[in-house]
Amino acid sequence: MKRMSRREFLRQVTNFLFGLAGLLGLGGLARYFSFQTDPGPPTEFDLGPVAAYPPGITALRPEVPALIRNDGSGIVAFSLACTHLGCTVEANEDGFTCPCHGSRYDRDGMVLQGPARESLRRLRVEILEDETLRLFTDGGRP
Amino acid sequence: MPRYRHLIPVIILAAGVMLFGFSPADASPSSQTATTATPTFDPSRLSQPPTVYPPSQADNGAQVYWGMCMDCHGDRGQGLTGEWLDSYPPEERDCWQSGCHGSDAPANSFAIPETGVPALAGPGALSRFPNAFELYAFIRENMPLFPPGSLTSEEAWSLAAHVLRLNGRQLGDFALSETNGSAIPMHRDVALPGSEFPGGLALAGVLLLAAFGLALWPGQAAGPPAQAARPGFVHHLHPPGIPAAQSRFRYTLGAGGLAVFLSLILLVTGLLEMYFYVPTPERAAVSVETLTTLVPFGNLVRNLHYWSAQFLVIVMTVHLLRVALTGAYAPPRRFNYLLGLLVFILLLDFTGYVLRWDEGIRWALVVGTNLLKTVPVIGEGLYRFVIGGAEPGLAALTRFYAWHIFGLTLGAAVLVIWHAFRVRRDGGIAVPPPDQRLERLRLTRSELLRREVLAMLIAGAALLVFSLLVPAPIGPPITNAGAISGDSQAPWFFLWVQQLLKLGDPFLCGVLTPVLVVVFLGALPYLLPNAKSGELGRWFPSGNRAAQALTALIVLAVLVLTVLGAVTGQ
Repeated sequence: MKRMSRREFLRQVTNFLFGLAGLLGLGGLARYFSFQTDPGPPTEFDLGPVAAYPPGITALRPEVPALIRNDGSGIVAFSLACTHLGCTVEANEDGFTCPCHGSRYDRDGMVLQGPARESLRRLRVEILEDETLRLFTDGGRP
Repeated sequence: MPRYRHLIPVIILAAGVMLFGFSPADASPSSQTATTATPTFDPSRLSQPPTVYPPSQADNGAQVYWGMCMDCHGDRGQGLTGEWLDSYPPEERDCWQSGCHGSDAPANSFAIPETGVPALAGPGALSRFPNAFELYAFIRENMPLFPPGSLTSEEAWSLAAHVLRLNGRQLGDFALSETNGSAIPMHRDVALPGSEFPGGLALAGVLLLAAFGLALWPGQAAGPPAQAARPGFVHHLHPPGIPAAQSRFRYTLGAGGLAVFLSLILLVTGLLEMYFYVPTPERAAVSVETLTTLVPFGNLVRNLHYWSAQFLVIVMTVHLLRVALTGAYAPPRRFNYLLGLLVFILLLDFTGYVLRWDEGIRWALVVGTNLLKTVPVIGEGLYRFVIGGAEPGLAALTRFYAWHIFGLTLGAAVLVIWHAFRVRRDGGIAVPPPDQRLERLRLTRSELLRREVLAMLIAGAALLVFSLLVPAPIGPPITNAGAISGDSQAPWFFLWVQQLLKLGDPFLCGVLTPVLVVVFLGALPYLLPNAKSGELGRWFPSGNRAAQALTALIVLAVLVLTVLGAVTGQ
């Protein structure tokens, strides 16, 4: 093994320490920026009394955004966020259309035309004890 | 304990309620009827909460709550519900009709509002309080109902911690206070960051080790290198090598270089702070408390910014005094002296202090801006230009923010670069001409860099440790009630002006005198005799003794006024 000069040894050790200091600083920065100031959006929404959703009705909830529909067989809810890049889709007679990139979905949220590849998210709705309806935006894919 | 004397009726009342309603085992006939009427209420819910050692803030709050709040708000913070009223004897279950707490309540009692007693926990409870500080401020001012405002701030904070725990917020041994309460949300969980000490000390240690390595590096001073082609702009800012005589620490004190280093730290930490700071009157103090309380290393970043700024004021003062007391401003350096003085005034900056927008800056802001109004003729216009309205508010904060982030930074950058450029143009740091120097050697580029990096590493490690140990001040958000009186002291570097203001006319003392001091300092090289070129490069040359004496006099006066201001302000 070649003998290292004192100067060379010092240079390498000091460079290593500079690198270490930089890594420590970067680690601290990563932790610093990891903090999330804003609370996430709510994941539960009260939709009011169940009686307000008789068979045959379709209701829009723009604050979710979601569409609630009672086909007679029960109340279903669709997320209106396009599965392509998140624009809010528009509900129409035969389904949903995305205004941003033209994805189309049928009445059950299945993709008719791209660029979206996944069907609209079905959201979970529950009837609570007091006969009101609650919508959950987390989980809930059927 | 005279502090609690006014609570005696409440305590007697509570004790009475407990005697009658809480001990059904007593064999008296009346309490037996109470027992049969409240078969479902478990009397153990009324017993004092167990003492925990060491108690957390919430544990202390539970004890205070049990003694003062539980009678009305319920053992679980449920409020005065029917279920909770069952804990009382039947004849006392209607507080409004029984006479104790109705509108005709006796003198040693109090009326309970007709709207009832609100729940403190559960869905929808306390939704109007976004954070722990607002809950604390409400408790402190309004609770208990008899008499309101009788709690100490410590008791009120412990109650806030207890109520947070009733709502499922677990804070462990974290203690809520005026400096962090508004960062803790009432209605959602936040993760409290770990200690900054291990990471911060590790970085400081590595910096010091690197400095040690650099210090062992053999120094290299060489003879005068052949001067290459005309040096470019960058070479003016940082020369490829300088005469050794210009790099003597005992002469320069390293103050100019240290000031540049501190400015760079300010730039970086300020940029980092911008990612979390929100410049609106409602959110500013909350966002600063969020940064220092919840963001990992956020407290360290803010402390570094704050302390760099404080030390920069000191270092710039030392730099100015060095130049004055060594006569270094003699021609051809007169203009650069003025440039440096301009940087100094620009960076004696008030806006960073104000951006906190907390109780601590409230009066300093009012006084500092009202001082503008005292300027003859243009005062009112000046005030509106700075404040953007009739009184400090959103417009003022936006202007201070814009100035601090952009105007100040850009202005300081231009002036500092110009100042450094002029140092080189004027022949470098003031030393005697080459033939009169004791030390003839030149420092090579690598040796100059080594010394600079070494100084930065040591200063950086020291600043880091200081910032880990000493927190920058932060107060509670400014509340409209004004119930919490703020600090009325000026920032320390304006204490001498504050002291002058006590002497008389605000314009003469607060505006004209400081301006005259600055004008006088700027006029030194133009009015008084200067040092000869041969006696440059050392302290107290005989050529500018008069200027030295007058500068010392000003420094003494400012120091005395500052000390007076600090002492009388306490």
